[in-house]
Amino acid sequence: MRPRLDAPRVAFLLFLLAALFSLPVLRPSGRELDYAANLARFLSRFWPPDFSILPQILPSLWETFQIAVLSTIIASLVGIPLAAAASKTTAPKALVTSTRLLLNVIRAIPGLVWALITVAVLGANAGAGVAALAIYSLGYLGKFFSDAFESADPAVSAALRASGARRVQAFQYGIWPHARPLIWSHTLWMLEYNIRSAAIIGYVGAGGIGTWLHTYQEFYQWDKFAAVLACILVAVILLDLAGSKLRSALAPEA
Amino acid sequence: MIADKPHLQINNLIVEREGRPLFEKLDLSIGRGAFICIEGRSGVGKSSLLSCLAGMLEPASGEITYCGQDDSQQSPKGFCKKLGLVFQHLRLTPNATAETNVLCGLLGQRSTWRTLLGFPRADRQRAIALLEKLGIAHLAQKPVAHISGGERQRVAVARALIGEPECVLADEPVSSLDPQLARQVLSLLKQECARSGCTVLCTLHDSALSEEFSDATLRFHGEGGWDYSAGGRS
Repeated sequence: MRPRLDAPRVAFLLFLLAALFSLPVLRPSGRELDYAANLARFLSRFWPPDFSILPQILPSLWETFQIAVLSTIIASLVGIPLAAAASKTTAPKALVTSTRLLLNVIRAIPGLVWALITVAVLGANAGAGVAALAIYSLGYLGKFFSDAFESADPAVSAALRASGARRVQAFQYGIWPHARPLIWSHTLWMLEYNIRSAAIIGYVGAGGIGTWLHTYQEFYQWDKFAAVLACILVAVILLDLAGSKLRSALAPEA
Repeated sequence: MIADKPHLQINNLIVEREGRPLFEKLDLSIGRGAFICIEGRSGVGKSSLLSCLAGMLEPASGEITYCGQDDSQQSPKGFCKKLGLVFQHLRLTPNATAETNVLCGLLGQRSTWRTLLGFPRADRQRAIALLEKLGIAHLAQKPVAHISGGERQRVAVARALIGEPECVLADEPVSSLDPQLARQVLSLLKQECARSGCTVLCTLHDSALSEEFSDATLRFHGEGGWDYSAGGRS
């Protein structure tokens, strides 16, 4: 069993508590403001979107996609052995505990904060974005994959071990066939998630289309900002559609 | 000279469940190539005895010694690569094909590197040939989750046989087969084993089958008593 109070749950409780204590911040500014007019004025600056910048931002959109794909693949490949080390049916207890702790710590730190860290280390480029999202995704995939491994019947791999199979063989032939469809499904979900994340990490300099969001916001060019948002929206919708199609194609036959 | 030595020697064996011995102290010597049936009500310890012989369960006391074809004396754990196992609940990999499940019986004899990207062609042909003999070659590429209980049981028997074991330990290997098919599977088991001088220990609940196939019977009575007699039930 997973400890009842692991890092994400503690974080959630603290968050709820914090939210309660934060309620007093919701007080009027004291000035006479016309909220509706403010909103209308702000939104009117977004319209019409200025699509003249498309030639500039399309390469960044492509870069966003590249960041998401690379980081997901890296996280998935590193995640498999890490998950085997975090699964009670395949690793000794001490290794399971320490690996899970590591995964919890990784998950507890938001993706944007990982991006801040990797930009500080690797510089403001797409490589930092790949590193940030790969680390962040690893926290999730490691957890999901280890759950997938643990859901396989341990009696099957024990049976293979009993007739002389080595650990890796018992894993490959006793556990992997059961976990494989789950691993595909989690990886695709992570890819969709990372495309959304990759669109925002440019805000802190980690490459991709978020860089333009930051730039146009800095210079109050809201019509261009709106065009970038529209591009992200279209890309995410298309990829979600493709992802759900792929996932149903890869789902285990019922 | 090897033929003179018993293949499997069991000395003063006591197997316990929840601290209580399941049967009286067991002493047996089983010759090479014998087909032994184990009979008795459920719960008397037949499966536990097989688990001990397979090295998966530690007996409370006593010794189990296998004598290999190379005349070496080995414990069940040391002998595990030469054992063919059929489990009561089969323990097949549900999402793998019937062919792959059969090939899993070879894992102990192939290195991790050799099986990392699949099995050699010769092994695969042997698996198909075995499935053919068991009448289910047409299911070779189907995941075992999608075949019937009787078909799965035959896959499990093929998995136990493919490594040309020196000893087969089979727990109810024909429980989900009709009598005719059960005969067919037991004949194959007997044939394959006679060919290579392999010893078979097998639990059966059908005494007619046991009488027909066994060279000797280990019978557990209630209260933990047992007797061992040559030939089937008289």
